[in-house]
Amino acid sequence: MISLVSILKRFPLTIFALVVLSLPFWFPYIGGYVGLATKMTIWALFALGFDLLLGFTGYLSFGHAIFFGMSAYTTGLMFKHFSAEIIPAMIIAVIVGTLASVAVGYLTMKRSGIYFSILTLAFGEMLHSSALSTFGWFTGGENGLTLPDLRPVLFGIRMDGLTMYFVTAFFLIVGYYIAMRISKSPFGLILRAIKSNSQRLEYTGIDVQKYKLGAFVLSAVYASVAGSLMVVYEPYVGTEYLHWSTSGELVIMSVMGGLGTLIGPIIGAWFMLYFENVLSVPLGEEWLLVLGLIFMAVVIFLPGGFVDGVKKLYNKLTKNSADVEGK
Amino acid sequence: MNNFFLQTLTGLQISALYMLIALGLTLVFGTLGVVNFAHGALFMLGAYFAVEIASQFGFEVAIVAVPILLFIVGVALERGLIRHFYERSHTDQILVTFGLAIVIGEVLKTIYGANNIPFAKPTWGTGILRLDEYLPFLDGAVYYPKWRLILVVVSFSTVAALFILLQFTKFGLIVRAGMRDSQMIAFLGVNITRRFTIVFGIGSIIAAIAGIFGGPITQVEPELGMKLLIPSFLVVVVGGMGSLPGAVLASLIFGMAISFTAEYAPIQQIIIYLIAVVILLVRPRGLMGKKGLME
Amino acid sequence: MSQEPMSDVMLDCYQVSKNFGGLQALDNVSFRVKEGTIHSLIGPNGAGKTTLLNVITGMITPTKGSVSFNGKPLGNISPHEINQLGMAKVFQTPAIFPEMTLLQNVCIPALAARDGAFKLNMFQLLSKGGQIESFAEETLVEVGLQGVMHKEARFLSRGDKRRLELAICLAHRPKILLLDEPTAGMARHETEQTIELLREISKRGMTKVIVEHDMNVVFALSDTITVLAQGAVIAEGTPDEVKGNPKVIEAYLGEEQE
Repeated sequence: MISLVSILKRFPLTIFALVVLSLPFWFPYIGGYVGLATKMTIWALFALGFDLLLGFTGYLSFGHAIFFGMSAYTTGLMFKHFSAEIIPAMIIAVIVGTLASVAVGYLTMKRSGIYFSILTLAFGEMLHSSALSTFGWFTGGENGLTLPDLRPVLFGIRMDGLTMYFVTAFFLIVGYYIAMRISKSPFGLILRAIKSNSQRLEYTGIDVQKYKLGAFVLSAVYASVAGSLMVVYEPYVGTEYLHWSTSGELVIMSVMGGLGTLIGPIIGAWFMLYFENVLSVPLGEEWLLVLGLIFMAVVIFLPGGFVDGVKKLYNKLTKNSADVEGK
Repeated sequence: MNNFFLQTLTGLQISALYMLIALGLTLVFGTLGVVNFAHGALFMLGAYFAVEIASQFGFEVAIVAVPILLFIVGVALERGLIRHFYERSHTDQILVTFGLAIVIGEVLKTIYGANNIPFAKPTWGTGILRLDEYLPFLDGAVYYPKWRLILVVVSFSTVAALFILLQFTKFGLIVRAGMRDSQMIAFLGVNITRRFTIVFGIGSIIAAIAGIFGGPITQVEPELGMKLLIPSFLVVVVGGMGSLPGAVLASLIFGMAISFTAEYAPIQQIIIYLIAVVILLVRPRGLMGKKGLME
Repeated sequence: MSQEPMSDVMLDCYQVSKNFGGLQALDNVSFRVKEGTIHSLIGPNGAGKTTLLNVITGMITPTKGSVSFNGKPLGNISPHEINQLGMAKVFQTPAIFPEMTLLQNVCIPALAARDGAFKLNMFQLLSKGGQIESFAEETLVEVGLQGVMHKEARFLSRGDKRRLELAICLAHRPKILLLDEPTAGMARHETEQTIELLREISKRGMTKVIVEHDMNVVFALSDTITVLAQGAVIAEGTPDEVKGNPKVIEAYLGEEQE
């Protein structure tokens, strides 16, 4: 038990990569399948980036569907009008998502607390509504952007099954490595300080506004990559990608997993999608109710999320065993 | 003239519902300092209760019984859940009430299904009214659905009642003082926690009124809570968190904006968000917001 | 800037007024802080001391008048820019980063001093080279907080939180340190420790402006004292000069009679 933890502590990235890369091979034994593993990995990437914003700086955005959705639409439109090759589509999509986040972030990050949350929500809903109506002529409106018979390719290789999974896994592992580096960097330290006491930070000679915007854009880059991958995986852009409920799900999974821990939101995303797709079968229609209850229970009793729960449990166990050894 | 009048009336009617929901939200926020994402769910619960009771015992019974029921639900929620979040961060408050909203929505979905259920208006509220018979400045026949006028009247009466309660009663005095400085009030030895419970109950009553009278217009379905919560939240924030006059003003602006852009559907779809974004960027604390709250 | 420049004046407040919706919080306040001195601002409650300090640090903008620091006017620049010019502030209630370790608390100003107000150094390790951390450690030792570097700041006593805040301010190597009632709410022995600590730091010759209630602190530390009452300067001078000033006595007695 102890040695396992010390291995985890020493080689977090290696262990993480091993788990992610082996997922499709053992996943079927617990009711999963490759497609679900891909979706889980995409959402994990989305939530991982979100942690750099919510978990580090404490800014609760209810509008991250904006970047996920805009990037998804851009990818879809690139496929439709340009080519089925994923590299140009993804690059343009991430650029669009990032630029959008600079604009939205610049306008919203000046506000804090509930005003920030509501403003991001308002921007998101505004965009969702306009995608359905004003821009309906190129977004496909209420039906979403359908891409019949489109097969995305990477250098001519079809993106499906395990190939698609490993491309996604590559992004998640690289994303995790980057996030870990950020966490240990001066930049990461200052982001955490924003959550802790942003006034002190401002009076310590730090341009808090720029760091906040940095965190916002960074999380939006992750969101854009995730949104784009979603369309590569499933060449169709649903209107719900822009809807606030996408932002809401992101918040729920991040909080359940454990904010500010990087691995927490990833676990939260995996848990939520696994729950939605596998555990929902025995639960039937009520699965969302159960999920809502779990979410509430976490917020009430375990504000640190699953990761914190495991930590507490581990500390309790090792403490007990230490007591036993002492006797 | 007729057109302008009708559009104003429609604007009022749209405002009326936003106002009712926003009123409860801003009251609870201003007094308890709690951001209640579950308020839309309470409104929806009111609508479902109203459907159930109206079909069994008649609409008149529902008008009396549903607010009482929701008051009880509100008190129970405040005692059992919300109270424990006064000291936690606003983010945690948002999260737990957001979770609550999902749970209430899902419970209703489990019982009544995902589709909307019919909500019959009472006989005295159906049909249309010829307005030009009462208002001489209108020329020709001008009709308007009776129920929508009732909603406007009920909404503004509720605003007036709440205003009187807060402005002219001892309870109101304490609550208003609590809105400014709750620590001071507790320091003076006033039992503020009991009053907090009652305030949350009143917020729930207003949600019930919105559910009873708004339900027949909005359709009653499990997504309803969130659908109306978002614009209502915008109303609250644009008006200034915790400001009752602000909420009234903002809902009027929203209602009119929606009504007067009716001919330009693409703009109508996004007009309230546009207004909200512009107002909040120009006036960060909303139209009548106080400094320091929620930042 | 109508006054003649003086080479040893570090902070210059010139005819500063501040109105809060009709309430005159500051009325034509002028005072100068000379380099290397400890300058105290005292006065009865509501005299405008904290407001003046907030004007200086850029938290609020004055209705009239100007503040300049080392000859540079401070109008319309944000708190972090003022800080980067070499001005640090100790708040009334210790402002620290409660959820972070002491070491992390002090690493932040060390980074601000090294990298400026913003640097996109996302991929550099904080521990790289060890300079930032060892500098932070030194600063913590300086204020007497050795041995608890990896403790979370929120678990410190109030007196130690004040020490930590001082360390945060000192790590930036400021030219001037502003202290807003550094001993407010402290027990007697903590107050004495704080005075001692401030004396220690004074040996470095850093300029300080102290807003303080506790006269023991003021008279023990100050070179110059400026007395404010109802938003205006009523006296200025050395501790002894101020002690005997009838206006000052009146201002304080007036308060007691109320």
